[in-house]
Amino acid sequence: MTNLSRRTFLKASATVVAAGSVPAYFGFSEFKKAATEESVKKVPTFCHGCTSYCGIIAHVKNERVWKVEGHPIHLKSSGRICARSHGMAAYLYSKDRVTGPMKRVGEGKFEPISWNQAFKEIGEKLDSIVKQYTGNSVLWLEHGTHRKSYVDRLFDTIGSPNFTTQYSTCFNAKTNAWLQMTGTSLNGDHKNAKYMIFEGRNFAGGIIPNGMNHITHAKENGAKLIVIDPRFSEIAKIADEWIPIKPGTDLAFRLAMANVLISENLYNKTFVQQFVDGFSEFKRMNMGYSPEWAEPITGVNADKIREIARDFAKYAPQAFIEPGWHGLHSHYVNSTQTSQMGIILNALVGNFYEKGGLMPSASLQMGHLDLPAIENMPEKGARIDGAGVTGKYRTVEPSRGIAHITPLLVQQGLAKAVFICNYNPLRTAPDPEEQKKIKDAELVVSINIDWNETSYYAADYILPEHYYLERLEHPQAVSGHISHDNPQLALRQPVIKPMYDTKNTLDMLKGIADAMGHKDLYPFTIEQEVEAAIAPLGITFEQLKKAGTLEFPATVKPGFPIKKGKPALPTLTGKIQFSADLFKIDGKLGIPVWVPPLVEPDPKNDHEFRLIHGKQPWHSHAMTTNIEQLMKLSEKYQGTFMWLNASRARKLGIKTGDTVTVRSNIAKKKVQVKVTELLHPEAAWLPSTYGGFSPKNRTANGIGVNFNDFIPIMVDPLSGSTMAQEVVVTVAKEGN
Amino acid sequence: MAKYGLLVFPERCTGCTACNIACASHNQLGLDVSYNRLEFLEKGTYPYVKMEILPVQCQHCDNAPCVSVCPTQATYKREDGIVEIDADKCIGCKYCMAACPYEARQLNEKRVPEKCRWCPEMLEKGEQPACSATCMNEVRLFGDLEDPNSQLNKELAKHEVYQLLEAKGTKPSIFYVKK
Repeated sequence: MTNLSRRTFLKASATVVAAGSVPAYFGFSEFKKAATEESVKKVPTFCHGCTSYCGIIAHVKNERVWKVEGHPIHLKSSGRICARSHGMAAYLYSKDRVTGPMKRVGEGKFEPISWNQAFKEIGEKLDSIVKQYTGNSVLWLEHGTHRKSYVDRLFDTIGSPNFTTQYSTCFNAKTNAWLQMTGTSLNGDHKNAKYMIFEGRNFAGGIIPNGMNHITHAKENGAKLIVIDPRFSEIAKIADEWIPIKPGTDLAFRLAMANVLISENLYNKTFVQQFVDGFSEFKRMNMGYSPEWAEPITGVNADKIREIARDFAKYAPQAFIEPGWHGLHSHYVNSTQTSQMGIILNALVGNFYEKGGLMPSASLQMGHLDLPAIENMPEKGARIDGAGVTGKYRTVEPSRGIAHITPLLVQQGLAKAVFICNYNPLRTAPDPEEQKKIKDAELVVSINIDWNETSYYAADYILPEHYYLERLEHPQAVSGHISHDNPQLALRQPVIKPMYDTKNTLDMLKGIADAMGHKDLYPFTIEQEVEAAIAPLGITFEQLKKAGTLEFPATVKPGFPIKKGKPALPTLTGKIQFSADLFKIDGKLGIPVWVPPLVEPDPKNDHEFRLIHGKQPWHSHAMTTNIEQLMKLSEKYQGTFMWLNASRARKLGIKTGDTVTVRSNIAKKKVQVKVTELLHPEAAWLPSTYGGFSPKNRTANGIGVNFNDFIPIMVDPLSGSTMAQEVVVTVAKEGN
Repeated sequence: MAKYGLLVFPERCTGCTACNIACASHNQLGLDVSYNRLEFLEKGTYPYVKMEILPVQCQHCDNAPCVSVCPTQATYKREDGIVEIDADKCIGCKYCMAACPYEARQLNEKRVPEKCRWCPEMLEKGEQPACSATCMNEVRLFGDLEDPNSQLNKELAKHEVYQLLEAKGTKPSIFYVKK
């Protein structure tokens, strides 16, 4: 940070923090000089900063990555990328990368080990665990599903059903509701929309660059943007209206919107009649939810709810409520019902399969390698986390699992071997002290590029993967969050040669399987996989490598899917199911009704707040915390501060920059505060990024706090989420 | 000869700071140097509140105080309007830093008061500099003020604009769109 005292043209308060000496950017000024005259090689690939996976073009000089730009064609970036994408590229040269396989020899102590020795030790250990406890005691945790097809072959061989994603900590109420009610998943057509509601959803914080670009242009063409959020999020900055709702009560707002649409006859009767199942039951159960009922719950004026509902109907079907993600769609006890109501509201006014409303993603039929069948496949038992299992978490999607209860599974003796890949539950799942207990499993392997908390505290072995700029992957069909008619295919390919003694995960699995005695389980290379994937598409590997992202002729047209004259969604009735079958448990009808938040701060206690969190635009949760260039932005813009509403802070004598103590039932931490008018008085808001505690991730270590510090491990009964915003904390000025 | 200008749409900015780091990457800046910044301002009282964001960088003034105070002509105005620094001529007196009312200059690791260069290597090719090229909301638009057909001139004709600290008579080359 500069020590200049900055003029502020907006007279904003800007605290300038002095920083210690730090190495130069990328640390290669010599290279800079030498490379000035060198030619630039441009290699297209895609980003790994978040799950938008934006297409990028890496500029390489002298075999060194100089910078990245957005890929001009890629659906998510369309030539434009966010701060973290630039930061992720710079992280290639981080001093905190794991440079070769490591074996734990003590607390916080690791020794280098050869790949062969690591495979031998891990393979033998895993084999003995499978023999002693069955394959069902083996768990694979991964951020996303990139490597699932590889893991599946090993898990089919040993008999484990336990492939688990991080989704229970992220967005699973949304996907669960869409799966149960529609069997599909649609996206907003922002470009053509006239009225957009972003509720608990922030394209400008959890950034989708091209989505924001579409919204910016739609707005300039007259579209209206309504943002409903306890916090004035980044996207609220360009909204026509910000409605600060009481956190955790969006379900009541949505129930009341439906009530207005039905009671004022504003809903699309033709659409509902043709394409909705369960409307009359819904109507009956929704009768009591008037705007006047919702007003005291949500803090939103009844007239305002009416106005939004009427405008929503007026602009439909060139309108939508954004289908949602993260905060609102995974972190309250009523998140599943809130997600259901998003589907119901969009269906009531007929936004489905309409331009400017909700549209499907164009998809691609890729080919695949014809691999030999696995012989003598053992029978797989029920998932040990209980996802999809009757009597446990029947309604949770078994394809995703419940990642954050892993330490409990270890303690119960159900999980004996845990593989954790490109994922850091010790920092991104609730209650880090509990999560540390993952280490008690008999075998813990962390596959990651840096010394994250999970590797440092829990892993017996750290197997470093090639960085995303160093590796080739199975090609990816681009989709999600933005409607698009033309299918796209993107390739992640090496931009430079691997810098260290790292491998791709396929080769790691080959090594481990070999050591277990499962020879030739993976008789293929990634190159062969790519060739097989693109074979039906009429393109060559060379073409794909050169282009990075390829676009194909449009496959998507507006109009509800119909087969033989009947609605043909992949649901029981082919229609949108207002009553979701799977949610008909415990005598319920599977229709969303009001469910109050699990906890409430005491309104009489000036110290109590609901702790909520969100993404900061220059960080991707905890994934980017250790990137120096991005942490510099945090320093520059008071990024680590916890937000408090100004009137609440005043009562407690707290000013911007003050340090406060935040307490929940499980933790007590200190953090600096930003006092703001941009937040609901009931909430304390934390960016989801900070609180690093791995001594070997030196940039992140000890900076700020994390919302996960304060929440116990809980499981939402319908979708299995962490319910991370169901926590009350007390805030007091230091010394009080 | 081109005369470069920049139009900024502050209303579109959502504060993602991609401009900041894209510039730093492109120019390979030290961690502590930044050629542009965002200024944030809350207006009003909850719940009737909004936020304004102002992107600020070297204004490439036609009447640049940093140029007139430089004792060695290290800082000079190019014909195309860009204010440039010849680091070899700089004696590190920091007069330019004191003179700039926009506080656009920062000392780099070699004690040279650096600032936004307007990336002429991009402008000359008709491309947007890194800060603009990366911006998802198209907050910045660089272009040639002399070319009547430039996108910049077309947009300038459409909007009412203002400049920062107009009263100082610095004649900046950056125009900000009024709301």
